[in-house]
Amino acid sequence: MTKYLLPLLVAVSVLVSGCGSGDRLQIDGLAAEINSDECVDGTDAEVTIYSGRKENLIEPVLSAFRCATGINVEVRWGSSSQLALLIDEEGDRSPADVFLSQSPGPVGFLESKGLLGTISGDILGLVSEQNRSAKGNWVGFSGRKRVLVYNVDLVAEDELPASIFELTDEKWNGKIAIPGTNGSFMDWFTVFRDQYGTDVATKWLNDMVANGARYYPNNRSIVEAAGRGEIEMGLVNHYYNYQEVIAAGDDHRAKNHDLDDDDIGSLLIITAATVLDSAENSDEANELLTYLLSVPVQSYFTNQTLEYPLAAGVEPNAALPRLTALQIGSVDFDALGGGFDETARIIETSGIQNQ
Amino acid sequence: MSQPRAPRELRAFGLACAIGFAFPGLYLIWRNFTSKADPLGLLFTNQTLQPFWRTVRLAILVSISAACLGTALAWLTTRTDLPFRRLWRVVLPIPLVFPTFIGAAAFIRTLNPGGLANDFFGSIGINQTPELHGLFGAWLVLTLFCYPYVYLPVAARLRQLPGSLEQSALLLGDNVSQVFRHVVLRQISGSLTAGTLLVFLYTISDFGAVQLMRYDTLTRAIESNYLARPPMAFALSLILLLFAGVVVTAERSVNRRLPEVVTHRAHSAATYELGGWKTPAMLLVGGTFAFSTFAPIAALLDWAADGLLRTHRGGRPLTIDTGKVVEATANTLSSSVITGVVALVAIIPIAVLAGRYRDRIGRFTHSVVIATFAVPGILIALSLRFWTLRSGFLGDLLYDSMAILIFAYVVRFGSLAMGIALVAVKAVPSRLHDAAATLGADKWHRFRSVDLPAMRPGLLAAGGLVVLSTMKELPISLIVAPIGFPTLTTRIFGSFEEAFVAEAGIMALVLVSASALLSWILVLRRADHL
Repeated sequence: MTKYLLPLLVAVSVLVSGCGSGDRLQIDGLAAEINSDECVDGTDAEVTIYSGRKENLIEPVLSAFRCATGINVEVRWGSSSQLALLIDEEGDRSPADVFLSQSPGPVGFLESKGLLGTISGDILGLVSEQNRSAKGNWVGFSGRKRVLVYNVDLVAEDELPASIFELTDEKWNGKIAIPGTNGSFMDWFTVFRDQYGTDVATKWLNDMVANGARYYPNNRSIVEAAGRGEIEMGLVNHYYNYQEVIAAGDDHRAKNHDLDDDDIGSLLIITAATVLDSAENSDEANELLTYLLSVPVQSYFTNQTLEYPLAAGVEPNAALPRLTALQIGSVDFDALGGGFDETARIIETSGIQNQ
Repeated sequence: MSQPRAPRELRAFGLACAIGFAFPGLYLIWRNFTSKADPLGLLFTNQTLQPFWRTVRLAILVSISAACLGTALAWLTTRTDLPFRRLWRVVLPIPLVFPTFIGAAAFIRTLNPGGLANDFFGSIGINQTPELHGLFGAWLVLTLFCYPYVYLPVAARLRQLPGSLEQSALLLGDNVSQVFRHVVLRQISGSLTAGTLLVFLYTISDFGAVQLMRYDTLTRAIESNYLARPPMAFALSLILLLFAGVVVTAERSVNRRLPEVVTHRAHSAATYELGGWKTPAMLLVGGTFAFSTFAPIAALLDWAADGLLRTHRGGRPLTIDTGKVVEATANTLSSSVITGVVALVAIIPIAVLAGRYRDRIGRFTHSVVIATFAVPGILIALSLRFWTLRSGFLGDLLYDSMAILIFAYVVRFGSLAMGIALVAVKAVPSRLHDAAATLGADKWHRFRSVDLPAMRPGLLAAGGLVVLSTMKELPISLIVAPIGFPTLTTRIFGSFEEAFVAEAGIMALVLVSASALLSWILVLRRADHL
């Protein structure tokens, strides 16, 4: 019997994997909420996406898009930075038409390599000037705000600081977590340099290290550690704490704290969509980008994934803290691409990764 | 003993494998040139040397502890009257299957301050949990996740050894520990060093566990520089690969001095009665299981249960359904089992070439295969895209196919089978061979009737290592797999990264169950039938 088990297992799994996805245009669940109309008939048109935005956060949108337009969607899922490396390796032979990035860094990397095409002007016009590339290479489609996450049992609410510059105070010695080498932190730090000058930003980071700031690899691990009370506070984006609360309710003992509206610690970091220069289906790609910026999809991003909408006049979900124009109005995201290697050098020299 | 020359077709096959396995290394060298990287200049800077020494220190510590733990577990579960031996043999390989990005996170979730263990012990009045991080945390979690690299080959070897020598030693007045040192250790030394080498190489290439334990190693420096400073990332990766090459060569020269032990299948292995040692032995085996397997599983269960309860109470529904889990499970099982088989088919001839004929090509290929284990998976993935894009018609044919995915997996994990297969080949008694030749059996027939049965336990352990590791592989599964081929690990990654912990927990539990099933089929049931 055992002799046959293995081939049987392989055969069954091959069979099952063969009938994974059907081609009928039918949607349900969240996708049906995004597109409440009847689906159009399927077409031969297709668009290939390399998506750094994870399946859980966007799959219903892509199903709804296919239902609404009949365009088939092929997706390679991955981490934004690894997909950017892949596109760079593939060059003009990349099968990707669209690249969706969870943070601006990978987009800046591809822009510096000249691999991004130009997005149609109509689409760029859908978002405010601050949330799109001046050169027309990329457009933001949702945002995550930087916040200070804190453990409610370890830090009193009235003691919370108003600015990241207060965190270098002796009072917070050894109590702040920093995701030093994480992509979105590096993006944030690049903007910080751009806004305040490299000297100020570098001094702040070095002071944080001197003040015993503790290194964690990413936002998620900081929010999780703050929830357990392993660390008092941490610099993260707002998204993760909402997810932890949805998952664990009151058992999760951490909350987001908004720093002052005009503080650099309140920056909005955008997720961006791009059309590649080598895209074979650039019409379909532009159609997809238009769809991402439509009312139902922007509402989905803010109500279901609890991020900030960037287009179509959609209001942020009531649960999210108010976003002032100042936070995003004065930031030049195009500076991100070029200044990236210097950011990496400063962060590594600070020694934060050994804390 | 005469040293026959290797058949020409075998040498050609070995050479082809060497080229196939060298793709990532050649790519890395090429990229160092094209990006004008300066690995030599970088090597002696503080920012390289510091993480490099931390990496080496960690790898040495983990190797020592995993070697001791893996050997002890193997001996206890194969050669003693330890209770529940069959159960232990099924569950002890499981830690191999945890992708470290979630395995280490789950481990932390259970054991660190404010975690599940803290809650549990807090309820019975104990309230102090140490915070696992840094060198100690990284050492602990990697030891617990890596001991199967030693345990599996050593257990396979132990079950094959003749009991007669040990019995003679005992009769001559040696005590059990003397017998172990003088007889058993000598006989398992090949498997032990091969397994320990894998632990060492895995540790220097690991990113997930060291990151979460906040211990800064070379892989972190590589990882955070891919986009920001590509030349530096390529140079550091090359340094890592060259270092692996040095270690592999060193191991080979040590291994050559080890005594060669051939298999005597006619005798049954000796079994020792533990007597008063039963309790400590149970504590060691049970404790290993509790920390390496149960602790992470507890966190996964907690996440999964929270999510299911939430959905049940009308909270946010799960973003996965049964269909998605079944699809990913089927993909994971089929690709990993096929990889295991293909890896063995590729590795056995190399092992024969290097072990039986002591052929130069065989020995070279052996080193290339093993050193490749230290190349970060993302670079293997990128290198395959690089080579397929530059191979014209063949590349178009292979692009987005299962074939290229399996090839990538084999390049990534063939190393796991290599050392063990070599030990297995060397263990085939040459007099049996000569006898079969005298009786007129041709080469292929001799291989099937003499070599294969004698090598079988080792090869099964080798295949098991490849299969379990492939199941958890991430970067290649994301970058090289055909579009629309989700595996459990890619889905776990997508969910966990965005803090969909319930979905990640459920799928990780499915992954663990699938690995337990495979380990039961592959390692236990078949091995017992010998």
